Amino acid sequence: MNMANATLQINHVTKRFGAGETQVMAVRDVSLTVAPGEIVLIMGPSGSGKTTLLSMLGALLKPSEGTIALHGTTISALKEDRLPDIRLRQFGFIFQDFNLLSALTALENVALVAELAGVKYGTAHNKATEILIELGLGARLHFLPEKLSGGEKQRVAIARALVNDPTLILADEPTANLDSKIGHEIMRLLRAIAKEQGRSVIIVSHDQRIKDIADRVLWLEDGQFKEMKTRAVDPVCGMSIEGEKAAAIFEYKGTTFYFCAKGCRDEFERMPEKFQEGGTGMA
Amino acid sequence: MSLAWRNLFQDKTRLALSISGVALAVMLTLLLNGLLTGMYVQISSYLENAPGSIVVAQEGVTNLLAATSILPGGAAASVKSQGAAEIVPILSQFIILDLHEKKQPAYLIGYDPKIGGGPWNMAAGREPRNDKEVVFDRTLAQRHGVELNETLEILDRDFIVVGLSEGTSSWMTSFIFIRKSAAENLLRAPNATSFLLVSPSPRFDETEMTTRLREIAKVEVVPKREVMENDVRLFGKFFSAPLQLMVAIAFLVSALVVGLVIYTATMERQCEYGVLKAIGARNGVLYRVVALQAFIATGVGAVIGVAVAFGAAQLIMAVYPQFLVVLEPRAVMQALVTGLGIALLAALFPARMLARLAPAEVFRK
Ligand SMILES: Nc1ncnc2c1ncn2[C@@H]1O[C@H](COP(=O)(O)OP(=O)(O)O)[C@@H](O)[C@H]1O
Ligand SMILES: [Mg+2]
Repeated sequence: MNMANATLQINHVTKRFGAGETQVMAVRDVSLTVAPGEIVLIMGPSGSGKTTLLSMLGALLKPSEGTIALHGTTISALKEDRLPDIRLRQFGFIFQDFNLLSALTALENVALVAELAGVKYGTAHNKATEILIELGLGARLHFLPEKLSGGEKQRVAIARALVNDPTLILADEPTANLDSKIGHEIMRLLRAIAKEQGRSVIIVSHDQRIKDIADRVLWLEDGQFKEMKTRAVDPVCGMSIEGEKAAAIFEYKGTTFYFCAKGCRDEFERMPEKFQEGGTGMA
Repeated sequence: MSLAWRNLFQDKTRLALSISGVALAVMLTLLLNGLLTGMYVQISSYLENAPGSIVVAQEGVTNLLAATSILPGGAAASVKSQGAAEIVPILSQFIILDLHEKKQPAYLIGYDPKIGGGPWNMAAGREPRNDKEVVFDRTLAQRHGVELNETLEILDRDFIVVGLSEGTSSWMTSFIFIRKSAAENLLRAPNATSFLLVSPSPRFDETEMTTRLREIAKVEVVPKREVMENDVRLFGKFFSAPLQLMVAIAFLVSALVVGLVIYTATMERQCEYGVLKAIGARNGVLYRVVALQAFIATGVGAVIGVAVAFGAAQLIMAVYPQFLVVLEPRAVMQALVTGLGIALLAALFPARMLARLAPAEVFRK
């Protein structure tokens, strides 16, 4: 791909926390290029460095080594006080816990972020209203977050991420607090936004069930991108596991199911029909 | 910004708490200051209203209320010869009254009704015509159930209350008036004079007059204003220190209350402020939100505090007429500035906390 065309260009990025004996290398020498409108899903076990990587991509954290360029501008080299503006105008953040401001209505949550970017009150509210209606929240504009369902909250959060027309949307475990049906809806919504509006989307998740909406799936382990191995999904908790490292195995109707923990297997044993289609096994 | 308002009004109990905290502090500050000012007014009320601008006293005496002064004989004549236009002699003494079995300190003034130096505002009755009559302070009379025409004992003599005077009360040094000749009798000091209240003749200004009077031997010549200040200092010193301490404590406590409320409110929303920071809000924006919350809470509290202080002052003076509460515009301003100070203090720590908040933390729980 042409470098100038790329939305995001990550070159040999490493992140270390601490020093000496207790030093942690959360991300090691990672390189990645994201094209406009591309949806990249970064998967990996807990503690593999996904959040750390995403924070660096979102200019929330400085890499210890390597560079990150947005549209050819090396943002990892910019001074600290330039970063808030870049985050505000270039990135849209979506969080696992939605993170809406509890005192503000759905509309105000979205409009506030436009106002932070210098948009006038009226214009900001019009734009926020427009986006919320588009996302199917027209009837929820003046609801406080506590009155919204999880899926609705995440859609408000998406509207908030979109209000300043970002080039890149960064989402950390956006479906972790949603049931799988709503989670899928949210992912389809993100895909539609990426494809229709040409925004790049980077999603971090350990939820295998959202793999299908991504253009590219990357596997992060020990802070490095790795080849995806024979992988299975625990049918009970949805956790992705390597077949060889599964904590428990269970045969059911000719299929082998893999579990992250014995507890999950016990639960599966009690009611196999309930979980069967959720996971992948190996025949 | 609306976020400050919304954050503030989301928790009504907390808002009420911080508003009442400030209101209480502002009210206490105002009332205590008002009491102090009122006390100063009361302490110096006699000299304030008495004729003359220079006081001539016994050598070494520079105040009216706390000292016993007996002028040497012929002092009045000397003062006259130095060019005084008007000389009002009084014989006065701090005494303890026995009012219906209750001890009550008072300041007795013996004066000559023909010359002046007596009560300046009669609420009822008249000035004394003979040596058995007294003009009593109206408030003191009311407090002790003393009626007009009643006979009462002062030191060991009987006097008839023929008049009640206004503006002569104080919760510790109310003024009462008898004729100077009666005072000479009562205090067993024939022809004695404590003070001369002197007005200079038009030929001299006050400073010149003072200089001329200082040539007289064995007397103290003090401008009236200075004597008043000395009285205020002597009596005020017992009260101003504890009162000022109370004001300081009120200020501190309410700063703590508001500070704590704003701090915990900010702490609880730490995550939300972190999200704002991650999204791209600068520290300045967050400071403004927190400061605005502090200012709204203290602003409303201060205004309520001022209003309540005025109401409470009226109430105090109605129930305890011996107290005078003077709320000067300057003191009101001072109280509002106090409120402002509280707001600043209250916003300081949360702002520091926000500054330290790392935006990347929003992705971690
Ligand atoms: N601020 C930090 N200080 C020290 N260590 C950290 C910090 N953030 C993350 N780490 C460590 O870096 C590693 C990767 O963490 P993280 O990026 O949160 O992984 P993931 O999101 O994939 O679960 C972990 O071992 C974690 O303990
Ligand atoms: Mg994580």
